[in-house]
Amino acid sequence: MTAPLVTVRGISRTFGAGPTAVHALRDVSFDVEAGRMVALVGRSGSGKTTLLNVIGGLDRPDAGSVLIDGEDITGLDEDGLSQLRRDKVSYVFQTFGLIPVLSAAENVGAPLRLARTPAADREQRVRLLLDLVGLADHAEQRPGELSGGQQQRVAIARALAASPRLLIADEPTGQLDADTGRSVMALLRGVVESEGVTVLVSTHDPVMMALADRVVRIGDGRLEQ
Amino acid sequence: MIRLLPPVHWPSVRGRARADAGPLTLAALVVAAVTVLAGSVPVLLTSTADQAVRQAVRAAGGQAEIQVRADWEYDDGAHGGRVRNPRSAESLDDLRDRALDQLGALRDQMSPPIEFAGGPYLKIVNGDEPRSFRLGYVAGTSEPAVTWVSGAAPRASSEHPNAEVAYTGDPWPVQAGISETAAARLGVGPGDRLQTEDAKGNPCDVRVSGVFRPVNRTDLAWQVAPWLLDPQSGADGPGITRFGGLLDAQSLPDARLAFNPDEVSRTVRFRPDAEVLTLDSAQRIAAAVVRLKATSGSSASHEGAAQWSTQLDQVLRDVRERVDAARAQASVLLSAVMLVAVLILLLAAQLLAGRRAAALTVARQRGTSIVALGTELLLESVLLTVAATAVGALIAWAAAGGVAWGWLLPAGVCAVLAGPGFGMVTAHRATRDKRNPANRSARRWAERTAALRRLTAELAVLAAAAIALTVLHQRGASPSAGGTVLLPASAPALGALTGALLLLRLLPVTTGLALRQALRSTMPLAVFGASRAASAARRVLPVLALVASAALATFALTLSSTIGAGLADGAWRSVGADARIDLPDQPATTTTALINRIAAAPGVRHAVAAQVTTATSVIVGGASRQVRLIAVDSAAYRELLAGAARTPLPALPAAAPGGPVPVLVHSPEGTLRAGDSLDLRTEGAPEATLTAVATTDAIGDTDDTVLADAAALTAAGVPVVPNTIWVTGSGAAAAAKAAVGATVVARTDVLRERREAPLVAGLIRLAWASTVTLLALGLLGFALDAAAGAPERWQTLSRLRTLGLRTREARRVAAGELLPLALVAALGGPALGVLLAVLTLGPLGLRLLTAQPGNPVLVLPWVGLVVVVAAFLVMVVAVVRVEAAVRRRNRLSEVLRVGGA
Repeated sequence: MTAPLVTVRGISRTFGAGPTAVHALRDVSFDVEAGRMVALVGRSGSGKTTLLNVIGGLDRPDAGSVLIDGEDITGLDEDGLSQLRRDKVSYVFQTFGLIPVLSAAENVGAPLRLARTPAADREQRVRLLLDLVGLADHAEQRPGELSGGQQQRVAIARALAASPRLLIADEPTGQLDADTGRSVMALLRGVVESEGVTVLVSTHDPVMMALADRVVRIGDGRLEQ
Repeated sequence: MIRLLPPVHWPSVRGRARADAGPLTLAALVVAAVTVLAGSVPVLLTSTADQAVRQAVRAAGGQAEIQVRADWEYDDGAHGGRVRNPRSAESLDDLRDRALDQLGALRDQMSPPIEFAGGPYLKIVNGDEPRSFRLGYVAGTSEPAVTWVSGAAPRASSEHPNAEVAYTGDPWPVQAGISETAAARLGVGPGDRLQTEDAKGNPCDVRVSGVFRPVNRTDLAWQVAPWLLDPQSGADGPGITRFGGLLDAQSLPDARLAFNPDEVSRTVRFRPDAEVLTLDSAQRIAAAVVRLKATSGSSASHEGAAQWSTQLDQVLRDVRERVDAARAQASVLLSAVMLVAVLILLLAAQLLAGRRAAALTVARQRGTSIVALGTELLLESVLLTVAATAVGALIAWAAAGGVAWGWLLPAGVCAVLAGPGFGMVTAHRATRDKRNPANRSARRWAERTAALRRLTAELAVLAAAAIALTVLHQRGASPSAGGTVLLPASAPALGALTGALLLLRLLPVTTGLALRQALRSTMPLAVFGASRAASAARRVLPVLALVASAALATFALTLSSTIGAGLADGAWRSVGADARIDLPDQPATTTTALINRIAAAPGVRHAVAAQVTTATSVIVGGASRQVRLIAVDSAAYRELLAGAARTPLPALPAAAPGGPVPVLVHSPEGTLRAGDSLDLRTEGAPEATLTAVATTDAIGDTDDTVLADAAALTAAGVPVVPNTIWVTGSGAAAAAKAAVGATVVARTDVLRERREAPLVAGLIRLAWASTVTLLALGLLGFALDAAAGAPERWQTLSRLRTLGLRTREARRVAAGELLPLALVAALGGPALGVLLAVLTLGPLGLRLLTAQPGNPVLVLPWVGLVVVVAAFLVMVVAVVRVEAAVRRRNRLSEVLRVGGA
């Protein structure tokens, strides 16, 4: 058994206070081994996104700890979290989040620019990733000129650009039709194999769950497995 | 029953108003502010125009007088001689009564009439200095009171009141009183006979009956003949001092007999009562005076018929021109404020529609019709506009005592219609069935159609601006030039709009180039900032509003600074130096001693004496012209001008012996030119020929001016007695004020007086108010645009932060997005404003307010320009800081949860 890349221990997160408080996460603990694809499933409002946000450092838990590659990220300040996102964790969102005036290649190269990667290395890496996601021929097209599935592929390529240890995808197929969604999930499965990246993906599509190495169920803020 | 209006869902109306209270309040504030400015300015301008008329009439002095002249009745006697008429004073009263009848209702606008009878020019033959003497009779409601210091009031020269005198007899004696000053200067007393002769050299018999002191020197009656109280230098020609002899009802009949029948004038003088004048009443008086002048000319030859003459119509025409110029300039400023206000209201309405897009879409999806939504939005905007206008009108009324509604129309209509218009379009677009065409050619066709539509609109604005500019240059923006004032007055505003459209075209190109350059660089923040800027560069209204506001604020500033500099130049031209001393009639040695004393005073750079004679008659090309003749040491005067950094004075060549005297000329209307030959005729001196060797802008103000070297003029036989000393330097005014008995005019005093003149002060205040309003509107527009783009901006920045962008780096990227708009406003706006000032200030007639011979030189308000530039750049920093502070409270996860592509 490989060492866990992500270790979640006793995470709780509550929004609001008093009688209207919403307990999004209650004492959640689990591990994710490196190089695995884990599907996080549950109904809407079950706490999937909150859990992904806490693991990715976009939100802070009220209690508990999250260790990524052995580092407790709950104690990091804003700069520390930014560095974490630059080096180890990347995201794919339901709504793609591409920069509209930049081409697909420039969008993919954005994290490499932040990492000050030399231009030649950056261009080589972008070409490789666009080839990986099957968009080598669309490198110069802008997001507005691409279909939804293509845009999500660009977003995945961008998320992989800085060679993260962990890729968090929050319902990446939510805005795609079933066929396109499946192809995107297959792509994610493929990058786990090819890039050795650990993927944590939230979904409620049973077909997509089948592609994951492990399925973690969550309901009412608690793990159900 | 047919429903005329769609149903209104009041809870929705209230809910929307509550949710968007901030933007609605801002829009209301804009409407209220514009109402205050545009509602009060025309009213204030009217009252200022009335004040200007009063001040102009006061300042015009004798020029504003209306003179009614009539010949005396025939005095031929039965025995071939002339008969003394003891009722001559009553004859003047009769002329006064007839003139009052002819004035009719206008007499209420006049001060009490003054009767005047004056004798001809007489030369005092004893003494070395050139002196003249005139007899004068003055009376208001009665003769002005005097105290006889010695001797007594004049008496009749004959015991027979109706004595008949032969035409060819000895000079008829006439008694006159003289003032204390004149008596001292002439060295005469009661009973003395003055050594005088008329212009033909015939001796006259004028005897001093007594020496008087006026009881009230300010009595209006004295104003028509001030020389009766004090000797007047230059009144009868250069270097000649006029003395006066006071007649009364007893001696006036003798004065008539002492000279030819047409040599003693019989006049009544009216002066408009400045306290009750208004621009309208002044125009009525001017029209009546012109009519009386025209109708009296033909009957003047009849015995006793009244002949009207005055320069009041010219005075009123001049002030009317100044009022028109001020109105034109005010219209230009109001047009500018109105254009920017309309653009800001449109921007606010667009922001509001953007905020309400979701709610309006839901309302449509629930079945609310577009018309019903429009009605609800219209109700809201009408209520808001009426309330804001009422508040603004109340403030305007309190400040100006009235409200002008005409200028409020554009902003009012825009405030009412923009919100509903944008709201309906937003709701319609969100729910319409029309989709973007799938095939490329159809999309291209749609794009070309949209581009053509935009180009047409831009060309329409360009054409309007070109027409407005042409009309402005052809006939100015003066209301009296006929036609509408609005079109030429809106030339700068339309020019600003055209320039903004051009910059709008250039902005995407520039940001695209910047993005391309950033992509080649290794700076990630530059790429993200430039990419955001490129996304934001296509928004139309923000660019138009901000560029127009910055350009027109700069234009208003430039107008203000140019007027300020023009006033300073005009004050210099009027005074001729930092201080001017108008000398009393005094010996040349006293003047020389005074100059030496002043020149040695601390802070004095130069002191130069000159003889300045206004209204000197010269013959040019066979026509007589009135010029201002300056006789000065030209080398010393050249040094004075050079020391004060004024326009250099050209050198005057030495006069050839017996040849014409070389002179410099300045003629605003171009009536005097280099090469002209001028014949100067002075009483008691040989005729001198002057030749204009050059024209120069270094001398003179609004009058034709001739400058000759004093030594050359003296050599030509023209007497030169300095009556003016020009002093420059920081201590000039103080040193000049030490001159006892002289009148001192300080340049700073003249400048202050002109700056505080009603029209000028009002216009400068309006220019400043417009500048502040325009700049405030521009900054408000920037804030509105930033608020409109904030959700998308911070959504993108949050995405970038998930890639590892730090918080402070996100702020820089946000600044990068906002910077192009700020830069185009901060740099393009002022440049455009200066260009507009260059193109349009000329026809606005600024010289009429600055009292310069030509339009003032454009002066750039550097400090103001820096403020305009800095204001927009500071605004970028402020907006980013405020936004960052607001967004800091939102967690990254919450921002991303909202979604968006």
